[in-house]
Amino acid sequence: MAVELSPKMQAFTEEVFPAIIGTNRKDGSVEMVPVWFEQKDGSFWINGGTNRGWFKHLQRDARITLLLIDPKEMFRWAQVEGRMVNWAEDAGGDHINHLSHRYLNKDYQGPRTGRIKIQIEPLRVTGAVDGRR
Amino acid sequence: MAGGKAASALSPAVQKLAALPILVTVATKRGDGSVQLNPVWFELKDGFIWLNSNTSRTWPKNLQRDRDVTMLLVDPKVPDRYAQIRGRLVSLIPDPKHEAIDHLAERYTGKKFRELEPGEHRVTLKIQPVAVTGQMI
Repeated sequence: MAVELSPKMQAFTEEVFPAIIGTNRKDGSVEMVPVWFEQKDGSFWINGGTNRGWFKHLQRDARITLLLIDPKEMFRWAQVEGRMVNWAEDAGGDHINHLSHRYLNKDYQGPRTGRIKIQIEPLRVTGAVDGRR
Repeated sequence: MAGGKAASALSPAVQKLAALPILVTVATKRGDGSVQLNPVWFELKDGFIWLNSNTSRTWPKNLQRDRDVTMLLVDPKVPDRYAQIRGRLVSLIPDPKHEAIDHLAERYTGKKFRELEPGEHRVTLKIQPVAVTGQMI
């Protein structure tokens, strides 16, 4: 069941840095990659091409873990265990463009076709931001 | 292990990144197969990645159950530049005099590690890099 983010955690997710995501490969190993994200209405949203390894993994095993860490203060971090609950075509690249504005304050420069947006429901939050390990 | 360059010699770009006092994100597997991510102090030395932990933490326990580990280093100035290192735990070395953690603390903070808490035991984890992928290879 989804958990509600604490006010501290919500504020932390509004800061601008990439999340590191971990997904399960078929062979049981973990793939890790930094991605742009946003938190909206308690869910995390990421964006990618349909050919991305992590999206293929998520279609097989919807579990995903995100690590958020303040690049300037390494003791401020949070781990979000979640699962993909929804994905949809990012028609016209509106969502990636929105993320590009969040991170770079400008329009997205890459291709806006063949992209999807993914909704992740948080199931458990740990880490120093909420004072729990 | 499929994919990635053999890591017998990490590339100069990866070595340079690893020399910075940045954290490595360590991915381990929980008993239920889900992914655990932790930011961790590390040092690359003699071709191995050296980590240290309180033995009561979950991630070193995960690693003793399943010795395969994935680690991610991200360039703090350019987040698109990163190296994903797949490795294997080759040995677990007790650190009873907390020399190893003091050494790591010096690398990150310029000071020795804090006083250990009552009942706290430290251990060094020696990781053999197996393969590297990412935008820096």
